[in-house]
Amino acid sequence: MQTIIDKNGVKHYMITLNVNGDSYTKVVKGNTLLVNMLRDTLDLTGTKKGCELGNCGSCTVLMDGKPVDSCMVLAVEADEREITTIEGLAQNEELDKLQESFVNNAAVQCGYCTPGMIMSAKALLTSNPHPSEQEVREAIAGNLCRCTGYVNIVKAVLATADKK
Amino acid sequence: MSDNYAVIGKSVPKMDGRVKVTGQAKYTGDLKFPNMLVGKILTSPHAHARILSIDTSEAERLPGVKAIITHEDVPSLKYGISPARWDENIFCIDKVRFVGDKVAAVAAIDEETVYKALKLIKVEYEVLPAVFDPIEALREGAPQVHDEYPGNINTEIHQNFGDVEKAFAEAYHVRTDQFMGQRSYQSPIEPHSAISFWDGGKLTVYASTQSPHYFQYYIAREFGLKMGDVRVIKTFVGGGFGGKLEPTGLEFAGAALSRITGRPVKMFYDRHEMFAHNRGRHKQIMKITTGVDKDGKILGVHADFVMDGGAYTSLGVASAYYAGAMLPLTYEFDNFKFDMFRAYTNLPACGAQRGHGAPQPRYAFECHLDKVAQDLGIDPIELRLRNARRPNTVTPNEFQVNSCELSACIEKGREISGWNEKKGKLPKGRGMGIAVGSFVSGAGYPIYRTDLPQASAIIKVHEDGSAATLYTGATDIGQGSDTILCQMAAEAMGYHYENMKIVSADTETTPHDFGAYASRQTLMSGAAVKEAGEEVKKQVLELAAVILEKDVADLDCSEGWIFSLSDPEVGKPFGEVAREFFVKKGPLVGRGSYTPPKLGGKFKGAAVGTSPAYSFCSQISEVQIDEETGEIEVKEVWDVHDCGKVINPALLHAQVHGALYMGMGESIWEEVLFDKNGKVANGNLGEYKLPTALDMPKITSALVDSYEPSAPWGVKEVGEGATIPTMGCFANAINDAMGVTVHSLPLTYEKVWRALKEKREQESENKE
Amino acid sequence: MYLPDFDYYAPESVQEASGLLAQYGPKAKFLAGGTDVLHMMKEGLIAPEVLVSTKNLARLKEIYYETGKGVVIGALATHNNLVNSPVLQESYLSICETAHHMANNQVRNTGTIGGNIVNAVPSADLPPILIALGARVTLVSASGQRTLNLEDFFTGPRKTVIKEDEILTQIIIPDNSFTGSTYHKFGLRRSGALAVVGVAVAVTMEGDVCREARIALGAVAPTPVRAVKAEEMLKDQVITDQLLEEVGRCATSESKPISDIRGSAEYRLDMVRVFTKRMLRKAINEGHI
Repeated sequence: MQTIIDKNGVKHYMITLNVNGDSYTKVVKGNTLLVNMLRDTLDLTGTKKGCELGNCGSCTVLMDGKPVDSCMVLAVEADEREITTIEGLAQNEELDKLQESFVNNAAVQCGYCTPGMIMSAKALLTSNPHPSEQEVREAIAGNLCRCTGYVNIVKAVLATADKK
Repeated sequence: MSDNYAVIGKSVPKMDGRVKVTGQAKYTGDLKFPNMLVGKILTSPHAHARILSIDTSEAERLPGVKAIITHEDVPSLKYGISPARWDENIFCIDKVRFVGDKVAAVAAIDEETVYKALKLIKVEYEVLPAVFDPIEALREGAPQVHDEYPGNINTEIHQNFGDVEKAFAEAYHVRTDQFMGQRSYQSPIEPHSAISFWDGGKLTVYASTQSPHYFQYYIAREFGLKMGDVRVIKTFVGGGFGGKLEPTGLEFAGAALSRITGRPVKMFYDRHEMFAHNRGRHKQIMKITTGVDKDGKILGVHADFVMDGGAYTSLGVASAYYAGAMLPLTYEFDNFKFDMFRAYTNLPACGAQRGHGAPQPRYAFECHLDKVAQDLGIDPIELRLRNARRPNTVTPNEFQVNSCELSACIEKGREISGWNEKKGKLPKGRGMGIAVGSFVSGAGYPIYRTDLPQASAIIKVHEDGSAATLYTGATDIGQGSDTILCQMAAEAMGYHYENMKIVSADTETTPHDFGAYASRQTLMSGAAVKEAGEEVKKQVLELAAVILEKDVADLDCSEGWIFSLSDPEVGKPFGEVAREFFVKKGPLVGRGSYTPPKLGGKFKGAAVGTSPAYSFCSQISEVQIDEETGEIEVKEVWDVHDCGKVINPALLHAQVHGALYMGMGESIWEEVLFDKNGKVANGNLGEYKLPTALDMPKITSALVDSYEPSAPWGVKEVGEGATIPTMGCFANAINDAMGVTVHSLPLTYEKVWRALKEKREQESENKE
Repeated sequence: MYLPDFDYYAPESVQEASGLLAQYGPKAKFLAGGTDVLHMMKEGLIAPEVLVSTKNLARLKEIYYETGKGVVIGALATHNNLVNSPVLQESYLSICETAHHMANNQVRNTGTIGGNIVNAVPSADLPPILIALGARVTLVSASGQRTLNLEDFFTGPRKTVIKEDEILTQIIIPDNSFTGSTYHKFGLRRSGALAVVGVAVAVTMEGDVCREARIALGAVAPTPVRAVKAEEMLKDQVITDQLLEEVGRCATSESKPISDIRGSAEYRLDMVRVFTKRMLRKAINEGHI
């Protein structure tokens, strides 16, 4: 990772991340957060900021396939990693089965927690295609929703699992 | 009243489901405009202090800072969402009144610069004594929060219907209980956010709002603008629950910063600032006295309450009235006395939160009634059935109740929960409890005095008839109003739901609507939409009659197909006729509006609680208590609702799930806590505990048939109804399980543990 | 929220990392998962000028068994690494279960066992179970290395014996004769909650008789504490409910909880009693769980 020093002596770092299958090389500061890099630099605003302290999960993205709170990850720490955001799920026009299930099971109300919620659920179903209800709830326990009581969300994830 | 509808009554998927699951839906914080600045508000670190000086010079010199404003740079007109109490300024002028009060604002080229600039603003304060408790605040000699409101009395209510003293004197049994409800916070997952920009004299504000109209009205008033020169646009909103009904400092300061810099300014609160801004549920101290006859029939009730209003009014006047006004809705009694003081304190202001003032009094009343039932040896469900309100009755505070299926809700709840089989026969530590509730389907009167209709709608059919656009000021904040209003439009027109488009909640393009609060939109906005759809249908059928050479009375239209009732082979597609209409006559437009009838009595505060219709529900829960730790596990909850005709069953049950979830959070976990200096101590989502997916029980949401004559297709509300009984329901279940009542919310494990400990100590004392 | 400015280094070896920490002293902070360090920086509680990242120290993630040494857990293993480790599932499922109940899934994918220990928050979940199992920790610096008992590592809330240039590299569970161990985190909701009281136990049973017991308590003192008097009561005793109740009471007397927004001291003391007896019963009956 190359370090560049600007005329005020502030260090910047050249990083390369793979986001949703595409490689991006950007220059960031040490204190640039992954969530802000995704939202502000790459215009991927599907990932949301709800609390900025790693409590609500609305900023959840997959880093090398694992769900993490992107508000608590430095962009420099994500150098050379594979990041998947909500925008990376649908293939061209076709929704991922999980996304369809959320729509068809009324699992989306205000939708603000939805991207993070789907990323957590997607990671679960990738590693565990037939989870129990308890396992689903554990996987999304770090994604807070204020609208649904999680009822239809759990239903939507289990419905997707059943279809596979 | 046939139940054979083409579109309504069906669980069609939400219109905005796809954009939300793909991350394409743009909330205010996601929007970017060219040359946009970022802005934030500097808030007070003190609960009560005089502002001696504000020095912004060093902050102004920070590269990237474009403007810094204080009270000197903005109108000093006091504002507030309650016209009865304009007590707030954009920035504090002489003193700050709570930790988080607004002092200044900065606009800069990026977020980091703004945060750094805020730190460089130097404010000199003279700290004053502060008051943090409503009872303390009402006492002689307490620090005065507002000079204009001596004794810190923000709202004082004394309502008296019938003769409670006489009722108590004649009662077989009179009982008094006292309870405390906590301060909780809506905490929508999306923080408040607003983007403002000017075009000459016209201001545009994109906001995370529940009501573009109220934002437009109050912003125009504050800046001395014509309403037509203020455009408020709702983007996607990540939840409101009452907290996004009034404009915040972000809208006012953003507009000012934008005017000064000539650039769009995006302002936002972070999660800490959300908690400090608050406008959530009031803490209430509630004393209830009820007199009953020997069969448990309620003869009279006296509700004697005190509310902690925080430093400003917000929607608090209405909250104060709702607290008492809603009590007589569920049970029939003629004698009712309601006393209330809403006190100012040096804490964040409280406002309207889902259920608006009613949930905690409901907790108090339902717990209290369970004790009355216990005193008389009557089953809690039986007691409620004996008192349950019936349809077509009037409450002592003059609310007209048309449809009411409360008894059916209670009976169905009893059946599906297995109450008779389980109650009193459950293993140790397990119990069941019931509570009921009722809520308005829209407030009978808007927030400020006006003769404007409650709602209006326009439907424009596309030139070639392949689509129809509904224009409505109604505000979808996640509950799905866009979807159900399109269903209603399609039903009323006889058109396809799938071809409906919607433009909503933009004050420049959509017709007036008061927005999403008091659960008004299904009934009120729906009524306007129905009228608009019927007008379109009428015009289409009139032209179709000519084309088909049939009498217009012989024609009907459903799902985009116009047909002859007497000769069903004869028909034409709606789209074809619509196109013909455009060619011959121009735009095919339908208009509708809705104004409720004049409701309520003539006494002071009579308007609050009036509504064209009321929903009713019962909630039963089964809980398991760990006797040694007090840990509460809610095993299962059953909610049975009377909410009139259901437009979209999936979305309706989703609302019940969500409302119950919020009620549950406030029942067991949620409480905004302060340190000794009045600063929020748990202003984050780690310590302010929203229930997680692992904390939720099994929920059954059921309905009873009902039809509301005053509403389009018989609809009523559901969005707030299920929050109301939950706290009482759990408290009663805990009492059934362990024989202890927890008299304050939230019902924490520690409080149960303490109550059990006290009970054991009492029992061993009694033995000696 | 934003982070203050800092310089960022991602050294390729422990030696290099230690060198950087020595060079920058108190101006530098070690960055593992970041769930604590970044949190404190965002809250304005600390403002290090330098962050030394563990990003390139992959060797420190390994979990393995070494004959003669015991189970070795690399300090950079994430909590989910602990949950999913076949070695731990086989030998000390109690550590997996402890990790499984921490925070939430997202935090468990970045937070590390090393971070949880070095941050030394009194309510941390891993220290009690590790202490109960007799864990030792290895600290490495450019000038050498040392290994000490984990229970001697903590000196106060967020205070440990670690020197400015030292890096915690390994947690070792030495071979032992424990027949069972377990930890209970008593929190106010089922996810994302700090322990109000944390109780870990490890026992060596011979039939009905307890030969040895270790009881480590979290969240009830400035550091994790061992309830040594309570442990003594179990030595060579036949286990009865009455005995466990008394041991629980004794453990209470060895805790010094404070009252805070999560619970009163009085409540916490009684919860020590309840969970000490329950966890002993569980470890005795169910093994490492």
